[in-house]
Amino acid sequence: MEDIKTYIESGILELYVLGDLPENEMREVEAMAAQYPDVKSELSAIEAAVEGYARSHAIDPSEKLKIKVLQALDFDEDDSFEPVVNAKPIREVPKIVPLKDNNFYRYSFAASLLLLLISWIALFVLYSRLQNSKEQIANLLTSNQQFSNRVNYLDKQLKESSTSLSILKNPDFKMIRLQGTKNAPSASMIVAFNPRKSEVLIDFAALKMPATDQTHQYQLWALVDGKPVDLGVFDSATDSLGMKRMKAIERAQAFAVTLEPRGGSASPTMEQMIAMGAI
Amino acid sequence: MKTRKITLTEHDLVDALRQKKKIGAEALYDMYSASLFGVINRIIQHEELSEDILQETFVKIWNSFPLFDSSKGRLFTWMVNIARNLAIDKVRSKDFKNTAKNQDIENTVNLIDERQNTALNPETLGVKELVGKLKPEQKSILDLVYFRGYTHVEAAEELDIPLGTVKTRLRSAIITLRSFFN
Repeated sequence: MEDIKTYIESGILELYVLGDLPENEMREVEAMAAQYPDVKSELSAIEAAVEGYARSHAIDPSEKLKIKVLQALDFDEDDSFEPVVNAKPIREVPKIVPLKDNNFYRYSFAASLLLLLISWIALFVLYSRLQNSKEQIANLLTSNQQFSNRVNYLDKQLKESSTSLSILKNPDFKMIRLQGTKNAPSASMIVAFNPRKSEVLIDFAALKMPATDQTHQYQLWALVDGKPVDLGVFDSATDSLGMKRMKAIERAQAFAVTLEPRGGSASPTMEQMIAMGAI
Repeated sequence: MKTRKITLTEHDLVDALRQKKKIGAEALYDMYSASLFGVINRIIQHEELSEDILQETFVKIWNSFPLFDSSKGRLFTWMVNIARNLAIDKVRSKDFKNTAKNQDIENTVNLIDERQNTALNPETLGVKELVGKLKPEQKSILDLVYFRGYTHVEAAEELDIPLGTVKTRLRSAIITLRSFFN
């Protein structure tokens, strides 16, 4: 390779790089460089050195020249530039990282939307179930109220019945039947009288008296030695099955009921006598 | 505020220039205008004419870019030879000789060297050091050929030395540069 060394040292490569060779000698240098790597690398080293020399003598042209030069070049206005091979490592960094981010945010967003939708559905289902439950509770409360009302009613009736029963079974009580007078022939009622304890009660279960108006009430009288004694007032219309306790009296020969103005009268209105019964 | 300068790798720049992309045009200007202008200005030694030639150079680079063969050498070598040829043609033209008479060449050279030592990019910080390393006879031949557009034959005549000596000195000058830049 002595020839190559001589060739390199001849200075022709420097002249080539400095552009100081005729056309035919330039082709010769290029052919040599293509054939011999030593020539090629020598050429590269010379080029780099001369470029460095030029750079070290660089002078900035005036600012406005750039615009003039760029106007003179018919470049593609499209800014997108895709380097063919070399730029790969440069482009991969900004390209892949945001891509991952984009995907991450895209999936997150989709997941959020899905979650929101599921939440809405769940909320709706729960809400309607809650409404159903509230309705059921209201219904249960109502029927519970009805039931307890019924129980209270039955309880009251039971007490009244048992009171009546205890009175009816008590041998101290005398059951006096009052029959309707000519004023009310179909009327009848029973008065329970216990002379030992001076108790007088009306058995509403057996009460059959004509209805009174708002301004009138029935008044019960005891006939004691021919004189009427007030035992209190009562109404015909009643939902009670029980016994109503009247004023106390020790002895009587008969009981009578008259129709009197509401609140009762001091002495009976004899022509308004509805029922009467002797002991 | 100066606009941001675009820099691409030589490979990307070549791709962009082949595709005639705007970024290629801008990067080409940003990366090479000062170096090419430095060479052109030293040959022509006239500011405005040098800028005209620089513009012509870029247009020629742009339009004849398909002719560039990266396997044959560096992009800059190809471009600087276009610039030098245009500049030398200009210097040798008739209308230039008329224009140039009005200019004091020595003053221009001084002006250029002053500017180069003060206002240039960081790469030029080592210029004085470099000039110190080059022997005066190496530098004068290199500058005649590279910056004044002389052929080595013309340089031999100008300096009145044998052609072989011109070649040897050019080679030794560039070897010195290689130790500095490579």
